[in-house]
Amino acid sequence: MTDMITIALSKGRLAEQAIDLLEAAGYDCSAAREKSRRLILEDEKAGLRFIMAKPADVPTYVEYGCADIGVVGKDTLLEEGRQLYEVIDLGFGACRMCVCGPAALKGKLDQIPNKRVASKYPHITRSYFEGTKRESVEIIKLNGSVELAPLIGLAEVIVDIVESGRTLRENGLDVLEVIADISARVIVNRVSMKMKAQSIMPMLDAIRAQLAKQKEQGEEVPSV
Amino acid sequence: MGNYRFHTPDGVSDMLPEECRTKRALEQKLRKLFAAGGYSEVETPGIEFFDVYASGNFVSQENLYKLSDQDGRILSLRYDGTIPVARLAATVFRDAPPPLRLSYIENMYRFSESGGGRQREFCQAGVELLGLSSTQADAEVIALAISSALKIGITDLQISIGQSEFFKGLMEEWDIPTEDAEEISRHIDQKDTVALEKAADRYGLSASAKETLMLIPALFGTYDTLDAFAERVTNQRAKAALQNVREILDILDDYGYTKYVSVDLGMLRSLDYYTGMIFKGFTYEVGFPIISGGRYDKVVSVFGRDLAAVGFSLSLNLCMTALRRQGREFLPMAADAVLGYSSEPGMRKLALAMAEDLRKAGQSVLVDCEGMDEEQLSSFAEERNIDQVIFLHDSQNCCEGENVK
Repeated sequence: MTDMITIALSKGRLAEQAIDLLEAAGYDCSAAREKSRRLILEDEKAGLRFIMAKPADVPTYVEYGCADIGVVGKDTLLEEGRQLYEVIDLGFGACRMCVCGPAALKGKLDQIPNKRVASKYPHITRSYFEGTKRESVEIIKLNGSVELAPLIGLAEVIVDIVESGRTLRENGLDVLEVIADISARVIVNRVSMKMKAQSIMPMLDAIRAQLAKQKEQGEEVPSV
Repeated sequence: MGNYRFHTPDGVSDMLPEECRTKRALEQKLRKLFAAGGYSEVETPGIEFFDVYASGNFVSQENLYKLSDQDGRILSLRYDGTIPVARLAATVFRDAPPPLRLSYIENMYRFSESGGGRQREFCQAGVELLGLSSTQADAEVIALAISSALKIGITDLQISIGQSEFFKGLMEEWDIPTEDAEEISRHIDQKDTVALEKAADRYGLSASAKETLMLIPALFGTYDTLDAFAERVTNQRAKAALQNVREILDILDDYGYTKYVSVDLGMLRSLDYYTGMIFKGFTYEVGFPIISGGRYDKVVSVFGRDLAAVGFSLSLNLCMTALRRQGREFLPMAADAVLGYSSEPGMRKLALAMAEDLRKAGQSVLVDCEGMDEEQLSSFAEERNIDQVIFLHDSQNCCEGENVK
């Protein structure tokens, strides 16, 4: 028996890279390539259904079993902290989760008591400062342009993802500490892994094989 | 301040007649099944002292509903069935000779871990088998869990069996301290092979140890999985754990339940709590396990009695969701008949007597209290899906009609 597999993708570049990879791995994803505003794209013949979701919602759909599989950044997984299987590191969408601030603070971060930290990722921030560094901080949740916060005195430092570091540099900020390496991950619902193993396991194997092949050929991460 | 008089709090909901009737019927089936297996049902209070849950450190306080009594002591709503039953076994039943077989069907109250969507009040049916540490006891509880799911109509069922001692044995063999072992177990539980590999390198595991570690989240099967690991481990504790699972599979085969069972040694939740086999039950159409159970020999000792314990709980709410999504229709609740009568003298007495007779015969009968005439009664029945309409005109004339749907 082959089951219908529902895949939740993070709308945007991550989704496109994931579709490229799945296609290279031998799955027909023409349904997902359809240019439309529909949020559920289904291909009954291929046995695949795609859900286009906001990145932060992908783990939710997968945890609740509305989607069997999801592709999402490690940053979202760390922030959402949901109960699911995190099975493959896809390698693309690579960046780092960092504590950033004025370069002058380099190495002196621990000397500021009761820091104010601005971030789009309050959970990651809390678990890093309270769990790993064992210090209490005031967390200020922002929704974007977090780099502003230290510039105008809202916070001493920020926690954010850093790709090239250009935005930071142009705003006179620097990476102070690295919290974690981030990249896109394949996640699987805990029940689907058992109940739909016959369809899901081969798909995961095909993705792994394709990744290995790309690595062997020294191929760059598929660009879009 | 808002006015919440029209609302129910987050995570709780009203249960409407159709659903309620289905739930009662399922509860009744489980109650019978547990009793047939020699399990005595108990009811523990809906409110416990906070200390009951806090002392064992098995439940994180964020998940407990807390209130206080008039003396300022902290109370907690019933969070699960096991801990109160453990309290009973160590206090009220302190002198009862083991084994004790107890069951419960009750509502639990939990702040869900990540919020949103999941119910905070939900019904669990479960059993605890206390005072036996044998593999037969492990298997009895798993078999009863399988029977429970089958009994209420969940036939697409998969049970995964794990063993916390296997992992603890490996950590012992590789000399990994408890705190780090916890982190590793989390990676395994999430099948996060990336983090797991990094951890293996950090602890400088040998190549073969690393290979074994990486196999834990990857392998699930039945005897083949056990064989694969048996070749790789030398630690006695881990070997005994594998043997325990092997025997459980043998016994479950005697029950005729082999087809529902598989082995997954990567199931490693709550290592403080579980001291032996762990199992979970899955079905289609719900994203969470419907059954959760295992052996927890240290729980009763928190309350001062050293008593082995094994048990499971089944979430009735999740099972009902699964049944509905799997296309099992819940029958709409409708009375069998509606009975009306004219204003002729003596008709009321006749109608009430007739209703009683029908009820004694097992039918559910509504008696009209609004003085409806025959026509009104018919349309009343039609609106409410009631099959039979009876109207008493006078002592000679009783008109019975079938409501055509």
